[in-house]
Amino acid sequence: MKQAVILSAGEGQRLRPFTATRPKVMLSIAGKPILQYVVEALAQNGIRNLVMVIGYRRREILDYMGSGEQFGVDITYVTQEKQLGTAHALAQAKEVTEEEFLVLPGDNLIEADTIARFVMVKPEAVLVKRVDNPVRYGVVTIAKGMVKDIAEKPEEAKSNVVSTGTYAFTKRVFDFIEPELDIPDVLNSMIARGKLISAQETDGPWLDVAYPWDILSLNDAVLHRIQPNLGGIFETGVVVKGLVSVGKDTVVRSNSYIMGSVVIGNNCDIGPNVCILPATSIGDNVVISPFTDIKNSVIGSDVNIGPGCIIQDSVIDKGCVINGHFTACSGEADVKVDDEYHTVNMGAMLGGGCDLGNSVTAQPGVIVGNHSQVQALKLVSGRLPDRSLVV
Amino acid sequence: MCGIVGYIGDKSARSILLNCLRRLEYRGYDSCGIAVAGGSLEVYKDAVRVEELARVAPQLDGTAGIGHTRWATHGEPSPVNAHPHIDCSGKIAVVHNGVINNYQKLNRQLTAEGHSFVSETDTEVISHLIEKYYGGSLERAVEAALGEVDGSYAIIAVMAGDPELVVARKDSPLVIGVSDRENFIASDVPALLDYTNRVIYLEEGDIGVVTKDNIKIRRCGKEVVGQEHKVLWRVEDAQKGGYEHFMLKEIHEQPKVIRDTLGEYISAAEPEARLAMVTEADLEGMLIVACGTSYHAALAGKYILDEVVGIPVVVELAGEFAYFNQISAKTGAIVITQSGETADALKAMKRLKEVGCRVVAITNVVGSTASRLADQTVYTRAGPEISVAATKSFTVQLMVLYWLALSCSSVDIRRVDSLTMGLRQLPGKVQQVLDNEDKIKEYADYLSKCEDVFFIGRGINFPVALEGALKLKEISYIHAEGYAAGELKHGPFALLGANTPVVAIVAQDSAYEAMLTNIKEIKAKGSPLIALADEGDEVVKELADSVITVPRVDPIFSPVVNTVALQLLAYYTAKQRDCPIDFPRNLAKSVTVE
Repeated sequence: MKQAVILSAGEGQRLRPFTATRPKVMLSIAGKPILQYVVEALAQNGIRNLVMVIGYRRREILDYMGSGEQFGVDITYVTQEKQLGTAHALAQAKEVTEEEFLVLPGDNLIEADTIARFVMVKPEAVLVKRVDNPVRYGVVTIAKGMVKDIAEKPEEAKSNVVSTGTYAFTKRVFDFIEPELDIPDVLNSMIARGKLISAQETDGPWLDVAYPWDILSLNDAVLHRIQPNLGGIFETGVVVKGLVSVGKDTVVRSNSYIMGSVVIGNNCDIGPNVCILPATSIGDNVVISPFTDIKNSVIGSDVNIGPGCIIQDSVIDKGCVINGHFTACSGEADVKVDDEYHTVNMGAMLGGGCDLGNSVTAQPGVIVGNHSQVQALKLVSGRLPDRSLVV
Repeated sequence: MCGIVGYIGDKSARSILLNCLRRLEYRGYDSCGIAVAGGSLEVYKDAVRVEELARVAPQLDGTAGIGHTRWATHGEPSPVNAHPHIDCSGKIAVVHNGVINNYQKLNRQLTAEGHSFVSETDTEVISHLIEKYYGGSLERAVEAALGEVDGSYAIIAVMAGDPELVVARKDSPLVIGVSDRENFIASDVPALLDYTNRVIYLEEGDIGVVTKDNIKIRRCGKEVVGQEHKVLWRVEDAQKGGYEHFMLKEIHEQPKVIRDTLGEYISAAEPEARLAMVTEADLEGMLIVACGTSYHAALAGKYILDEVVGIPVVVELAGEFAYFNQISAKTGAIVITQSGETADALKAMKRLKEVGCRVVAITNVVGSTASRLADQTVYTRAGPEISVAATKSFTVQLMVLYWLALSCSSVDIRRVDSLTMGLRQLPGKVQQVLDNEDKIKEYADYLSKCEDVFFIGRGINFPVALEGALKLKEISYIHAEGYAAGELKHGPFALLGANTPVVAIVAQDSAYEAMLTNIKEIKAKGSPLIALADEGDEVVKELADSVITVPRVDPIFSPVVNTVALQLLAYYTAKQRDCPIDFPRNLAKSVTVE
């Protein structure tokens, strides 16, 4: 197997506001977009000829991945104008695929181990994994190593083995795509017509992000594996413990306390007297002012955080300006996404480009839309749409 | 401007030369050609695009050769006038970038001596001069030929049956790309990036002999070892990366290049890298010299330095500066040129140096002529800019000017802090403008149907109005004029009407009230008014027919967000009109003639 098709066109509506400006594959986890983990896993397994199916907000991908040279791969882009389904996405790659190829979802975080054996499998095949909550996924029934059927998000799961959305195909798959729109349906139709599809199980990491707060659990999981690296400038009296990676040109000022696992990007200005606790990721060009305390959170690039803030279990997207004494403490909350309530422990989710006045307090579970403005001394709660004005 | 390339090695020179020429297309050209030397010399050239030449030029065996993209200065674009130019014997071929001032005299002399000329170009005299002086060594012949020539040149000469390329430069750019068992030559680095990132920049007056294994450079009669530089650009940096046009790609790169510039200059723990020039207390004032888009950055720089540093600043067009005689040595001079090769800017630098001014160059190209002439060089880390219409280089020039202002020792540390904070927010704010692209596209649909557009601004946004108009006219071919808002009533009012929209750039600064007055005046004349304003500005929303909103920033930084919005407006207008956006007609990227 020399080639892989990565499906990267989807939006991920349930992940709004974070997917309003980027496709789901470009969500940043521990300082890198999910897509980059997939590309690196493939490159480490010797697969460097990549086809990327892009669609929704595709420029974000083009800007970041480019020709792929930076990541040691060669990328050909094909466009899926309307996101009708995974099989429809794959069909867009028909002209550029070789005789045999892998298909992977660009929005599931994997590592090299996950697909180490699968890259040698004989098509057609599907990579499966045992999970705790199979009803969220495509549950696979297997007999003698062969797939019997796939049931997408069943009411009741017949097993805890699910499809990872990673497949090995030959060009024949394109004969079965019409009229189906999703790959599991294509597989079922292939099986019905007598094609054999083998199943291979992996115990490597395979992480899916469905809801905004999943970003935090993924971030936590990935941060445990980072390479420590102390770039930048550390003033005297800075304490660093555990796994910590700090990028170049970042300044960490006196008496700051960084307890890994923590990733901090390039060109940030942190401190003096700032506490960054596990498991936290901070992007590039971020300013964190004195006496701020951040725990288990993801902070995007170009964010400016004022003095005396408390930020826990929160995601703050790129370009937010947060003035002093912002409080986003963690707590149990019922959060509504797609008319469904979920009970989760979290702080605040802030979309990109928000502007928060002094001493704003966020209730646990608040989701603030992109480019919202909140005046000083306000309490925000519930779900605020993009460009909200809280006065 | 013209671009030249050369190759010598073991591979077929034809395809390598054509590929290098494609990489020089951004410089703008009307014709192109290659000459490949083996046992004989084969020349193919025409007034066509490189793609077309690649289609018609047959396979050639030679492994050494030269190529050229021509931008006509002497003689119309035609197959005969295209380079390379050969001598009477057809064994020597030359490509040349520059202008030979005394070519008519040389032409007459050589014709009298029996040489026959076929083209109207200045370059052809060089090939005949080389032929005249050839006595066994191509290098000696080139040296003797150039001794007769008065003017500017970067040349490569090749001869049938001679496994070497001879190069020379004076006032025109030339770099040698170094590799194993093969070497490359080009006017500009992007042409070489597919093959090597090791380059040697030739100095003024250098003559070099390049073979596949060796590079010999003679400077002032002595042999020197050329200093190798490693180019940090990647090939992909110079490619379109999936975008339809380089211009759009470069517009989208702006948050990143702003962040890179911040990393390079602003966030260094202590502002130690202060410019020696601006800390000198005895300066009477500052002078900024530039052309085109860089001139607009210079004008904005005037407002920035005036406000932040409190020093009088004069801004001059490099081309006009030649006609001013009163220059004080107590003036701190800044010359802004993206390419570092702009002829007018270089000429101005030389004059400033003669007078004894300290000269700081702001340029995007490491090792460029400007950087070598200047006392101090500040690089804009914008990466290669391929689109003829400058976008990211302008933004980064502004960033460097902000930094320059901040590094002046007289500025209060509290002011430095608050401005630094504002600068750090710019990548995010610019990203917000880009995220708003679809809205801007709607206004572009409207503008694309117009014949004339006015752009107006006041204060620090006056240069932005000029830049907005320049972007629109150069890529969409719509007649556009930038005006200081107060000047509109001194003439241009006569042109306003229902078919002439005005784009008004409004910032929340001391010019705000006056801008509102201007807007009302324009509305009274019945012109459609598009305002570019802060997202929270309700007053302007009432007054204008439509508003392009940009995120709120400190007014001193408003040129950055406003310009990005106007770049997108120009881009989508030109796209709607199906214009060749990256290579507008009659324009060239780096203007290396006066």
